Amino acid sequence: MIHHHPDDDLLLAHAAGRLAPGPALVLGVHLDGCATCRARLAPLLALGGALVEASEPLALAPDAWARTLERIDAPAVPAPVAVPAALRPALPDGMAWPARLDAARASRWHWMGPGMRFARLTLPAQPDAKLFLLRIGPGRSLPVHSHAGLELTQVLCGSFDDGRATFAPGDFDATDDSVRHQPVVRPGGECVCLAYVASRLRFEGRIAATIGGWVGM
Amino acid sequence: MGRVSHSWARPAGGPARPRAVPPHVGIVTTPADLWMPTTDELNEWMRAVAVAADRSAFAALFRHFAPRLKGFLVRAGCDDAQAEELVQETMVQLWRRAASFDPARAGLATWLYTIARNLRIDRHRRDAGLDAASEPLDELGADAPGADPDHAPEARLLAAERENHVRAALAALPPEQAQVLRLSFYEEQAHAAIAHELGLPLGTVKSRIRLAVTQLRRLLDGMRP
Repeated sequence: MIHHHPDDDLLLAHAAGRLAPGPALVLGVHLDGCATCRARLAPLLALGGALVEASEPLALAPDAWARTLERIDAPAVPAPVAVPAALRPALPDGMAWPARLDAARASRWHWMGPGMRFARLTLPAQPDAKLFLLRIGPGRSLPVHSHAGLELTQVLCGSFDDGRATFAPGDFDATDDSVRHQPVVRPGGECVCLAYVASRLRFEGRIAATIGGWVGM
Repeated sequence: MGRVSHSWARPAGGPARPRAVPPHVGIVTTPADLWMPTTDELNEWMRAVAVAADRSAFAALFRHFAPRLKGFLVRAGCDDAQAEELVQETMVQLWRRAASFDPARAGLATWLYTIARNLRIDRHRRDAGLDAASEPLDELGADAPGADPDHAPEARLLAAERENHVRAALAALPPEQAQVLRLSFYEEQAHAAIAHELGLPLGTVKSRIRLAVTQLRRLLDGMRP
């Protein structure tokens, strides 16, 4: 059962197309696995539809129709090939690669500390987006950190506690500069999360800051 | 704004057969109920495009939606060239994906809106000439109530009603809440715009948005049969 979902503020921004590709991807992965949130999103998308229907029509360029016909007659550019499984960072047994992540290029796993690895994800649609897969072993924790801006986390497998709540597969978390937390992975297996960070994380402590700078978070 | 008014007679009975007139001629601005296609007509034209690659049906859909999409996109902050580009690409996606439009899941305006919004987010892919990647229907609730094929007519009614209900709910909201929702669609920096328009501190804008959405959901719940 999924317990933690994006709030209406974030869902509305997503419905309105106001989220950049990076955060939109994290929400997209959550929505792919959460029928509840798809149902919550539907009336917000319908709001967009209602606004389109109610819009004052604006005259189009005189060649708009002709150009549209040209495009439908032109051969369609083939869709990009999905990332072959061999090129994706290896996942724990039983964890499926979320299809939506095929839109991103994934690096290999990089060591971040004992029992902690990360892979950098690069989205052509927003190449500077700080998008990561984090893979952390049971009992391990990220160093205590706060955020100058938004951080979005979608749990793909395993679970963690961060002093506020427990987050398990399918759960979504959004934190901002009001939150200072230390996620600790629960026993039972590795925890893999998709994470987006709007700006640099502020790690506390000299060693942690060194790691933070090195991983580019 | 440059609207052209044009009068043409509508066939008296039977489903409207769209004429093969280039849509840029005659962007109609007559009173809505005289000329607006019905949901059934829109769905028929979509079927004709999907099943028979019917270009006059496509022209009718273009005539109805393209100017409204452009009006919406310009209002939402696109410049004229961007809006034109997005409208053309959205209509191209309509043509290519017509077979995947399911009136039981969403109204056509919502489906098109979602395509346009995905295209807009995915600017980079468009600039590279790549085909749109995301499938709007995934977000429109594959397992929403009413998706049962055995109840197809009711499902279509529900989807069409949901759009009407959303329109009615928007009209029934307290003006400030309706404004909060509209600004979220129209403004690049929605939170700042809401704070400015309503004279609120930036920190309270999120909670106002949540309130407005909660009230919208309450109104929609109350409208369910």
